[in-house]
Amino acid sequence: MTSAKISFRLIFSLFVTAFSIYLVFLLNPDGAPRILLNLLTFAGIYGLSAIGLNVHFGWTGLLNFGHASFMGVGAYVTLLLMPHAAGREGEVTTTGLPFFAALILGIGAAALFGLLLGLPAIRLRGDYLAIVTIAAAEIFRLLVRDLESITGGVYGIINYTDNFQKYRPLFIDNFSENLGFSPSQAWVCLAAWVSIFITVLLLKRLSDSPWGRALRAVREDEDAVRAMGKNAVWLKLQSFMLGAGIAGLSGVLLAFNYGSLETTVFIPLLTFYVWAIMILGGVGTITGPIFGSIIFWVIISETDRLAYLLFENANGQQLAGVRFLLVGVLIMFLMIFRPSGLLGKKEELLLDVK
Amino acid sequence: MSNNLISVDNLKKSFGGLKAVDVQELSFKKGELTSIIGPNGAGKTTFFDLISGFQNADSGEVSLKGKNISSTQPYKIARMGMVRTFQLTKVFDRMTVMENLLFSGSNINNDSFLKSILKLNSQKLYESNLKEKANQIMSDLNIGHMADSYARELSGGQKKLLELARSIINEPEILLLDEPLAGVNPKLAEDILSLITKLSDTGITILMVEHNIEAVMKISERIVVLAEGSLIADGVPNEIRTDTNVIEAYLGKADE
Repeated sequence: MTSAKISFRLIFSLFVTAFSIYLVFLLNPDGAPRILLNLLTFAGIYGLSAIGLNVHFGWTGLLNFGHASFMGVGAYVTLLLMPHAAGREGEVTTTGLPFFAALILGIGAAALFGLLLGLPAIRLRGDYLAIVTIAAAEIFRLLVRDLESITGGVYGIINYTDNFQKYRPLFIDNFSENLGFSPSQAWVCLAAWVSIFITVLLLKRLSDSPWGRALRAVREDEDAVRAMGKNAVWLKLQSFMLGAGIAGLSGVLLAFNYGSLETTVFIPLLTFYVWAIMILGGVGTITGPIFGSIIFWVIISETDRLAYLLFENANGQQLAGVRFLLVGVLIMFLMIFRPSGLLGKKEELLLDVK
Repeated sequence: MSNNLISVDNLKKSFGGLKAVDVQELSFKKGELTSIIGPNGAGKTTFFDLISGFQNADSGEVSLKGKNISSTQPYKIARMGMVRTFQLTKVFDRMTVMENLLFSGSNINNDSFLKSILKLNSQKLYESNLKEKANQIMSDLNIGHMADSYARELSGGQKKLLELARSIINEPEILLLDEPLAGVNPKLAEDILSLITKLSDTGITILMVEHNIEAVMKISERIVVLAEGSLIADGVPNEIRTDTNVIEAYLGKADE
């Protein structure tokens, strides 16, 4: 019976996802492949981030509302370690590490940031942790903004994409030319989805393991975990580090998708988008956020178009209002129909927090 | 000192103006089955919290096997062989009964991230041994048929059983049971009582907080009575039954 339920959930998710991709083609007679690529790139990057958040919230029950800062640490550390230009004058740094070394250090820095933030904060429970993490994320963002001599401040970082694009295989260029989209974005998109694939494999291994079991026990009852002789704080810290590392990787990909990096990317709204994706996909699942992310981005990008089709004579400002109304209605509809997310199990409906 | 497993010296804890625990001297010998009774608010659960490390005392000392554990973390105390249950049953609701037991039985080495990601053979072997042990305990406690159910689907009494099963899978030396019979039907209460007696017979030291006086009188070797945080009586069941302090604590003074 359980397997029948799982396959129903999976088929339903695949169907909704396929339908929303079909909608993109329906609503955009011209240039659909280009729009779809853009959408899938964002979906891959945000989905990866949501997978990391799911380790925090879905597995361990940690209310982390500072996910954007983990993405930010990963992105900034990686970019600053490579050749780049930064600041108002676009000061050029020509020396630096090769991409993969910088990437690994960036992911490591994000995990380390998770550890450092976690050490004082992780003893807090539920909403108190949420408040501290959201504050810490803002502190991070404002620090990056003000440390202009290192991070480029509000002027941001530019000229770093070559570090990654020089590894772009030739077939992507040929392929992109035929379909009329940007080869550099296609390369970022491929990298994002390969990262998701590897991360999912890794987490699948962990979720059924004794380690994953221990995290879920922490989620259920910390005191009982302590009473069984397990160090709940250390388990939570490990979970924080793993999720933060995954977020760091997605932050790097986000930076390469944008082509220039500014601090405004890591505002709290980013965290809330990632939360929405995780909840849509199914809290506590591994692959749920992938579907959640695609559907979320179809909704975000296509409601614009939909609003335009519904109200032909409206001006831009009016359309923006209608658009977010549609975003709200669609997400609400999905949550009413699938309260535990697309792939979430009803038995593990996880929206309550201890 | 020699055969005192747990001793408490001048242990004090208050919440604001309320004196919750104030115990001069109390010790428990190896193998004893002791019940701690007292009226509501007597400080029994706080006393458990203090000796299991879940709360820190304002002053005084708790020692376990001759080691001062007054400010030791609860998980370290549990690893030293003293495992507790809770008044309000704490099972891992959204995990299966089997997972509840496997988590509790697995040691921290087996839980390690590295081992889990590498899926070492030693871990697989450990897990299959653990599973066997869990199955054995579940069938002993008559919850074997629930192995794959989520713990939150269990009845209140079954949750109490699961909590007990979880506590004994690591073969502790000392068990602290906080109201093991609360909210349990009479038939199941019988089962739990005989289980506790059986555990005691295997040499486990048991401390139990319980309101069911009849049951306490029946199985305890020793009874400790707390009232308003202080120790008012300590002895074998028959002494306690006739102790005037105890009767006063429960029923009030005769001339009032």
